[in-house]
Amino acid sequence: MPPEPGDLPPAAESVTTAEAARRVGVAPSTLRRWVREGLFATPPDDGRWTPSVLAHARIVARLRERGHSLEEIRDATNEGRLAFGYVEDLLPSINGEHDLREVARRTGLAPKLIERILAAVGFPAGQAEVLSDDDVRMLENIAEVLAAGLPLVALVQLLRVYGQSLAQIADAEVRLFHLYVHEPLLRDGVPGIEVAEQMNDLTQLLPLASPVMDHVHRRYLLHFVEQDIVGHMESDLGGSGEELGRLRVAIGFADLAGYTRLTEQQGDVEAAGVVERFVASVADTLPDDARIVKTIGDEVMIVSTDPAALTDWAVGFQTLLPDVSLPRIGLHAGEVVYRDGDYYGREVNRASRVVARAGAGEVLVTRAIVEASDRHLAFDYIGEVKLKGFDEPTELFLAHLPEE
Amino acid sequence: MGLELRSDKEFRDAMDLVFQLMDDDDEMGPRLRDADVPQRFEFDDIDMVLNVRATRDGEPGNLHWEWTDDVDWEPKVRMKMSAETAVRYFQGKENIPIAIARRRIKTGGDVKAALALIPITKPVYAMFREALEERYPHLVVS
Repeated sequence: MPPEPGDLPPAAESVTTAEAARRVGVAPSTLRRWVREGLFATPPDDGRWTPSVLAHARIVARLRERGHSLEEIRDATNEGRLAFGYVEDLLPSINGEHDLREVARRTGLAPKLIERILAAVGFPAGQAEVLSDDDVRMLENIAEVLAAGLPLVALVQLLRVYGQSLAQIADAEVRLFHLYVHEPLLRDGVPGIEVAEQMNDLTQLLPLASPVMDHVHRRYLLHFVEQDIVGHMESDLGGSGEELGRLRVAIGFADLAGYTRLTEQQGDVEAAGVVERFVASVADTLPDDARIVKTIGDEVMIVSTDPAALTDWAVGFQTLLPDVSLPRIGLHAGEVVYRDGDYYGREVNRASRVVARAGAGEVLVTRAIVEASDRHLAFDYIGEVKLKGFDEPTELFLAHLPEE
Repeated sequence: MGLELRSDKEFRDAMDLVFQLMDDDDEMGPRLRDADVPQRFEFDDIDMVLNVRATRDGEPGNLHWEWTDDVDWEPKVRMKMSAETAVRYFQGKENIPIAIARRRIKTGGDVKAALALIPITKPVYAMFREALEERYPHLVVS
């Protein structure tokens, strides 16, 4: 869930029951009843509500809104299941209340544009009505980027990529923390209050993610800037005349043949491990000018600016993986639309249909790939194949190492 | 391409250097020893063979290698390449699947085990380049 404006107090501050009730959005008598009912592992001391108890109360309020009984919530508290809510206490407070028109004046961005920007990053509808100090700072930064000359169409796409990627990261952090830290504590029967204490210690590690992400982001930025410079140089040399937002690339799809059977035979966890090793093998071995665009279950989508290198990689990669679950790979090259950090279009669809025709251990390619490849590989002509969703047939070839 | 190897001895010194770097490294050394994948490298253009394995109980270090085929263990993975490809490979300048497709590297045995070693040995690329800059700068691949 994207963040919403809240009003948690600074970490060291404790508040009265009346103030706590205001911040949680319930009556003071309700809070006092929750304390009497034993809903808090560490009840407020002398009527003062610390940030962690307040965070817990917010979780209780959410659960009540969702129809959970006080008994269920008390049991969950005693079992330590609500201790995860304490992570909220560690996040910086969201301060300030600014209305849309004020922010529009301050940033020079039109109200409609602010709404569009917030929607692009994935904040909920209605977010623009009340904006926090941090929201305003973000919008000021965005206004500077626009003033520096980045076209709005590109900026909105970029913000959508930020929103989707960061939502995925936050979701993974919370889920993995829950699965590998919180659940084991619960399974071990650790009392609720101890779970809360241990979670409190461990959640202090989560803010460390920001410098890690910043570093990884910078490394990738450097890599892709270099790639872009090389790509520009080569397309200038080649005289390529692509339309704005369109690129000519090689597209590859690789998946594990027999994955469904593997899942049935070895179970979800073992099969997930096979997929993880497969994706890691792809990532570890791809040539510099190729990258994984996304993974969908056991399928990996790869894009490269060098069709010959990608084809060589695919053929060589198959020889490295004599596994129970051999991958199948389909390659095609053509003009695609680049939008929101992803690649779209007819040629992407065609590439995904090519892999569906491949067998385990095979590399199937189209004529566009054969024509771009070097002579050290052999290409067996399979024939004109009618791919699902395409009216015209596509010529397919089996790429492999030639006999010595 | 176009590396200038001045002598077989120079090549052998460079390979000793790269295996020593992996052996000495606190991360790579123990991980390679635990992986326990004996490998045979054949440098076919200069007719030299290097066999490497994890150290056994009581032996110092993490890796043990000999420049001969006359060893008392069986390689699990075999890789054949030119001396120049080897120097490029250990600097991270030779993509293994592509090198296989282009016949610059030929593999045999349990190549899947070799694939598992790739992420372990990646840190040696920069270390090897740095060491070459000091001793054999003409072997550094830009």
